[in-house]
Amino acid sequence: MRLSVMALLFAASVASAQDAEPSRTLTPGKGAELATARCVICHDAQHITRTKLSRGEWEFNIKNMIERGAPIAPNEIAPILEYLSTYYNRDVAAPAPTAAATGGDPVANLLNANACTACHQVDKRVVGPSFKEVAAKYAGDNTAVGKLVTKIRQGGSGVWGASPMPPNAAVADADLQQLVGWILQQK
Amino acid sequence: MAAAGAAGASVMAHNGYAQEAVKLPVEPAGTVPNSAVIAEKFSGMQVHSERPLTASVPAESHHFSVTPNDRMFVRNNLLTPDIDASKHRLTVKGSVHKEVSFSVEELRKNFPVVRTQAMLECAGSGRSGFVPRPSGTPWSASGGMGCPVWNGVRLRDVLRAAGLQNNAAYVAGQGGDFGVIATAAPVIRSIPMDKAMEPHTMLVFGMNDGPLPKIHGAPLRLLTPGWAGSASTKWLHTLTVLDAPFKGTFMDSSYRIPRDAVKPGDRMPPDALVTEGWPVKSMITYPAPNAVFQVRRLVLIEGRAWVGEGAISRVQISLDEGVSWQNAQLNNAGDKFAWRTFSVELRPEKPGFVTVLARASDDRGNTQPIVSKWNPLGYFWNGVHRVGFSVEA
Repeated sequence: MRLSVMALLFAASVASAQDAEPSRTLTPGKGAELATARCVICHDAQHITRTKLSRGEWEFNIKNMIERGAPIAPNEIAPILEYLSTYYNRDVAAPAPTAAATGGDPVANLLNANACTACHQVDKRVVGPSFKEVAAKYAGDNTAVGKLVTKIRQGGSGVWGASPMPPNAAVADADLQQLVGWILQQK
Repeated sequence: MAAAGAAGASVMAHNGYAQEAVKLPVEPAGTVPNSAVIAEKFSGMQVHSERPLTASVPAESHHFSVTPNDRMFVRNNLLTPDIDASKHRLTVKGSVHKEVSFSVEELRKNFPVVRTQAMLECAGSGRSGFVPRPSGTPWSASGGMGCPVWNGVRLRDVLRAAGLQNNAAYVAGQGGDFGVIATAAPVIRSIPMDKAMEPHTMLVFGMNDGPLPKIHGAPLRLLTPGWAGSASTKWLHTLTVLDAPFKGTFMDSSYRIPRDAVKPGDRMPPDALVTEGWPVKSMITYPAPNAVFQVRRLVLIEGRAWVGEGAISRVQISLDEGVSWQNAQLNNAGDKFAWRTFSVELRPEKPGFVTVLARASDDRGNTQPIVSKWNPLGYFWNGVHRVGFSVEA
C-alpha cells in the first residue's frame, strides 16, 4: 500500500514537471466566448485550462466567483457550467473539436483534428515554428508544396531546432494540399 | 474568440451588471505593473499566473536561514495597489471604546517597534501535490511560502490604544487592493482575539530590516504568523473589531478546510473549518533535485521545518522511500514562528540514485503524512518532501 502511494506521488511529480504550458485561450465550443468574457477578466485563461475539475467543483467555482463579484448573470450560470464541465472535466473526456466549434472553417478543422496547433501557431513559435515563419522560409521556392507535404507526412527534425516533427501518415492527400496551401499564405 | 489580449479588451455590457463595456487596460491606474514586481524578484522565480499575480521559488532556492525579499512568494487576489505611504492611514473601528486612526509614522512613534522572523505561507502552498489537482494556483510542494524578518508594531498595542469593548472577539483586516472590475469583492479576513493579542501578531511596515516592498503590502500589512497567508492582510487600511467572525465570501466560501478527508471531487462539507495555523511541514533545501555527488564524499542534506502553532520537536529522513527513518540534527530554535533548520550528514558508499524524504513532527503529537488528505480547495498540503540526487564513482 505504501509503495503504491509513493508510486502515485512520484507519477504525479513527473507528470507536473512534464506538463506542457496550459493553453492561453479556451477551447472553442458552445459557451467558450461567454466563459472567456466573464472569467478572463480577473483571471488569465490558464486558470481554467491548467486544471480539469469535476462538474460539482466547476459549479462551486462559478458560485464562489459570483460571490467575489464576477459579472455573471443568473441565466449565464448554466451555459458557462455546461461549457466548463464539457471541455475541462476531470471525469469525462472533452469532445473533439467540431466544424460548428471552429465556425466550419475547413483549415481550422484540419489543424485541430490533426493536433497541428499543439506545436504550431500562426504567428508565435511554440514547440515548432509558427506558420508565418514557415511561409517566410519557403517564400519564392516553387518546390515548397512538395517539400512540406512530405515533411508533414513523414516528419523530420533539424530544420527548426532539436524538437522533431512527428509523422502524420493518416492525413489524406487532398487535406495535406489544402493545409500546405494555407500555411504558405500566412504572411 | 473575444479573448482579453495583452493590448486590453472589453467585456460586453449585459443584463444590468455593467452599464458600460468594462475596459481592461494593460496596467490599471494606481497599480504596480507585474513587470515591475517580477523585476525585483530572483531570476528563478516561477510565475504561476499573471492575473492575479502569483509566483514562487522552488525549495532549493530557499536555502537561506532568512528568506530574502527577492525569494518571498507573491500571491495577490486582485491587483497590486500603488499606495502613497505619506497619505496612508490605518483606522481601527467597531467594538472599540474610541475609533482611532494612525499614519505609518504615527504607529512607529507611538508604539514599541519590534522585529521577528516568522513564517508566512499561502493556504494553497503545495497544492500541486494533491491528486487529482483541485482548482487554484498550482504551487509546488515547497512554493507559496517564506520566512523573512518582519518589522512593525504589535497589533495588541494598537488595539489597546483603541480600547476593546467587552464583546470584542474577532478582528477583521481590509486592504486597499482592488480588482479590474468594480464589482470585485474586497478580500476581508478576520482572526480570533487571542491570535490578535499574541505578541508576534504585528502591523508590519518593514521587511528584513528595510522598507516593506509594495508587492508585500506597503505601506502597511497585517502579519498573522504561522497562519494561512490570507489572514495577513496586505495594504491594510481598516481593522474592524467584531463580536463574531466576519461574514463574507473570503471567510465563508474560501479558506475553509474539511474536518476530515473528502472524496476527491466532492463538495466542501458545511461544517468545514476556517483555515488557521499551518500543520507541521518541512522541505529539503539542499541538495537541489538531480544534483550529482562523488561516491564516499560528504553530502550535507539540509532543510527547513515549521508549524503554524506549537513547535517542531523532531525531523526525520528516509533513504528507502519511507520504510525506515532516521533522526536529523535539529538546529537551535529561533523566533517563535520561524522555521527551524535541520541537517543530516550522508556519505554514499556506492554509486547510484538516492532519494531523500523528510518529515517533521511537532510538540502536539502531529507528524507529516506521506500524502495530505484531499480537500476541495487544495489547502494545507504538508505531505513529505522528496528530493533525489545521483552518486557517481
